[in-house]
Amino acid sequence: MKFTRRGFLKLSGLSVAAVASGLGFDLEATAAHGHALKLAGCTKIPSICHFCSGGCGLLLHIKDGKLVHLDGNPDNPINEGTLCPKAASLAQVAYSPERPKNPLYRAPGSDEFVDITWEEAYDRIAKKIKEVRDKTWTSTEEITNAKTGAKETVTVNRAEGICMIGSAEVDNEESYLLSKLARLIGTPFHEHQARI
Amino acid sequence: MSPSFGRGAMTNSWQDMQNSECFLIAGSNCAECHPIAMKWVNRARAKGAKVIVVDPRFTRTASQADVFAQIRPGTDIAYLGAMINYYIENRLYDEFYVLNFTNALYKISKDFGFKDGMFSGFNPETRKYDYASWAYQLDAEGKPVKADSLDDPDCVFQKLKTHYSRYTFEVASNITGIPVAKIKQIADTFAAAKPGNIFYALGMTQHTTGVQGIRCYAIIQLLLGNVGKAGGGIQALRGEPNVQGSTDMANLNANLPGYIPYPTNQEKTLNDFAAKHGSVQYKPIVALLKAWFGANATAENEYGYQWLPKNNPANMPIQPQFFSKMEEGQFKLLLNWGSNSTVSIPDRKLVARGLSSLEMLVVADIFNTETAQFWKEEGLNPAKIPTEVIFLPAAFVYEKAGSMTNSSRLVQWKEVALKPLNDCHPDLDMLDHIFKRVRALYSGSNDPKDEPILKANWDYGDHEASALKVLQELGGYNDTTGKPIAAIGEYLAAPIGTVSTGCWVYAGVTPEGKNLADRRGNADPTGLGLNKDYAFAWPGNIRVLYNRASCDAQGQPVDSKRKLIWWDPVQNLWVGNDGPDVVDKTKGPDTPEGKIGFKQNPEGVGRLFAATYKSGTVAPEGTAAVVPIRGAGMTVDGPMPEFYEPIESPTANLLHPEVQSNPCAKIVSKEFGNPDEYPYVLTSYGVVEHFCAGAITRNIPWLNEIAPEPYAEISKNLAHKIGVKEGDEVEVSSARGKLVVRALVTDRIQTLKINGKDQETIGMPWSWGFASLSPGPSTNNVTMNACDPGAGTPEYKCCLVNIRRA
Ligand code: SF4
Repeated sequence: MKFTRRGFLKLSGLSVAAVASGLGFDLEATAAHGHALKLAGCTKIPSICHFCSGGCGLLLHIKDGKLVHLDGNPDNPINEGTLCPKAASLAQVAYSPERPKNPLYRAPGSDEFVDITWEEAYDRIAKKIKEVRDKTWTSTEEITNAKTGAKETVTVNRAEGICMIGSAEVDNEESYLLSKLARLIGTPFHEHQARI
Repeated sequence: MSPSFGRGAMTNSWQDMQNSECFLIAGSNCAECHPIAMKWVNRARAKGAKVIVVDPRFTRTASQADVFAQIRPGTDIAYLGAMINYYIENRLYDEFYVLNFTNALYKISKDFGFKDGMFSGFNPETRKYDYASWAYQLDAEGKPVKADSLDDPDCVFQKLKTHYSRYTFEVASNITGIPVAKIKQIADTFAAAKPGNIFYALGMTQHTTGVQGIRCYAIIQLLLGNVGKAGGGIQALRGEPNVQGSTDMANLNANLPGYIPYPTNQEKTLNDFAAKHGSVQYKPIVALLKAWFGANATAENEYGYQWLPKNNPANMPIQPQFFSKMEEGQFKLLLNWGSNSTVSIPDRKLVARGLSSLEMLVVADIFNTETAQFWKEEGLNPAKIPTEVIFLPAAFVYEKAGSMTNSSRLVQWKEVALKPLNDCHPDLDMLDHIFKRVRALYSGSNDPKDEPILKANWDYGDHEASALKVLQELGGYNDTTGKPIAAIGEYLAAPIGTVSTGCWVYAGVTPEGKNLADRRGNADPTGLGLNKDYAFAWPGNIRVLYNRASCDAQGQPVDSKRKLIWWDPVQNLWVGNDGPDVVDKTKGPDTPEGKIGFKQNPEGVGRLFAATYKSGTVAPEGTAAVVPIRGAGMTVDGPMPEFYEPIESPTANLLHPEVQSNPCAKIVSKEFGNPDEYPYVLTSYGVVEHFCAGAITRNIPWLNEIAPEPYAEISKNLAHKIGVKEGDEVEVSSARGKLVVRALVTDRIQTLKINGKDQETIGMPWSWGFASLSPGPSTNNVTMNACDPGAGTPEYKCCLVNIRRA
């Protein structure tokens, strides 16, 4: 439903008609109706809060591909529709002007970030992984066998120069690929903020 | 928790909190940091439940409490030890539970000892313990010997009794600053109302004695018989939205996904690995290798075991140590995903030095974080910093499909709600692109070192990576049927080498044509908040872990109002309102398997004393070697919790002055202060409006209006002493750094009496950094990088500082 001037007049007429004590019209009804208008025709898509580990359900109201409203998902049994202030503000991330628009690059010694394409970003990262991996590769090392006390040479296949800090703020599937990618390129040096 | 119960996870759920009769909330300000917990606590309160809060500050959570105690930061083990002592001395424990579901009767080796703050087996050179003497007495078959009664001087129960006899209410009061009568009131209140529930968060873990504090909780809950029951348990209120999931997926150096121990250079072959960790780890690692290397993983090549990089135990840095390794020149490239170390890691100068030593830093995040811009911080000269930095703008949670696992192991799926803003991409796509490019760079190589990349199984779609395909890899496939695994039972029953799963605890989350994480059935017929048809809880959709321990010897619920599971003698099956957490659903309470309450522990019982022990010996299918079945989770700094002062402490250790702090703590910082120069104890915390390092919340205008800047909370006495009023600027300094903030003079912090002397505590929120819409000074300028020896968690919650008018 488009918010036209006629619609607005009809709405105010309605609320004046709904005479309530004191003010002469029912503010609550006006508010509720305005809310209903704003949300009319929206697709409601459930999601999950991105702050504490509660897993409270969000409900995003989307119209024409745009986020119109965000509130708690009443069908999620964890929060039954309620949200705390952090989560209630999550709609502000969707169109935040603070979000970078594209990948950025800072050259050695530079005091600024410059825009780069995804293509260039991926290219630089992949080449750097290969370069550091190749120059810091340890295929074997000598150990003292903890049981026998004997010195032996064992295969360890490690890229000593690469480390990875994963995240407790990304999805399971992403988290898993972080683990998988790190170990496939040869780094067991993979940690994240679960400890801190 | 895993050394006590076998699994590290929160035992019950948010909705289950409505079933509790009493809460001990200590080390968590859940009203601000986990508001959802308060919703369910309040529901229990409406039915008469009691709330006990122990905290250094009178928090918003404390304002809801029936009993509140203010404690000196870092001294929890002292009063918890006194509670254990009191329960034992006054026989307030649940005797049936203690005899049947704990190792109370197990006899401890004569070699075990404890003297003057040290357990037997300490090596002062390595600052580590050898566990050999923390053992059971074993019979001829290698099984633990059990005592006839709890009075046997060798049994665990008596060891516990002796150990905690030193922890009187008076000693605990002198250490913690909590009055004697208050400690007694806490102990009595918590024992009187069952089921009792304990919550903790970072207030408990961010100490050099963090793991042992949680062990105290476990001992108390096992003594009172509160584990495995609706409304009971221990709730680890985790800090980040998917920290349970990211830990399940092993974003930590000691594991592979599904809590498989990470292979070290001592385990040359897959058989060595099984011999070290037990046959229970053999199937998961083979299933994982099959998920990672597909058809290239065969019995002949040990399923690709040799391709995994092996840990060197002598060089296994944890995240707070990464920055030293950069400075020392080992790490040249850091790939950093959604984590803001420049604000969040203690001793920030060290972080800046580390990042400045890298060749390249890659940061993927929603906003341009302080970490990505570390070279811009005041006081650094960018011209001298050679690090190349690439920032990748990431899609936000509702702009991508995927699942997250909440604190209570509930895996919830979400679809894309909005297209990503600008040219942002999901991290999943970034990882997919990066891996494929690296693989292309190596294509055609015959060098054996490149095999893991070239032989990997990596196919999540051609253009955009499909999160569902990844979840299906986690849920697993059965080679025999050629189909996705339908349930965890199918995985458990399958012969080794015939199933693949990326994370075995998630086995069965995606049966053919289904995604159980996306289930929306929210009915709750029992009224217990189990919601069995909503999403999927690992393992096997169990909502209350260890629920076998909620039944009596006949397998019937001990609490008729809160029935979780029971043995059905007609069907010859464990059934119930929840998924039964039993060894085998067909083994009744009169069989050895049917009595087991803690199947993830090698003894099958909850561990009051964390002994070293491996159960059984078998030859796993497909191997010639005879290996143990299951090993026990250990606590590296003692089989029973002992009180140690924080690394920076204003006073001497009352129990053993010659062993002041945890002898095993990992010390990373190089500068320490003493109480003459830095007489006050600082504790850091979060506020409801900001989240962790603030990378997201400090870019949200609403939240910045409510909580615009950090501050230092001080008592009226301290304000008077240093001559400041509310709103004045003060400088807070430690041996490591300083910052200037406004003073908040408050009744929420009181002067404590510690060992006869007045002691002041200062509280500061920490979520600020120099970038974002709302920059502010970082509290981690002053905190200290010294970590718990087991968990590697830094001691953010207490260090010594000075404060003066700025
Ligand atoms: S809405 Fe609040 S309580 Fe719920 S998950 Fe989000 S941050 Fe936690």
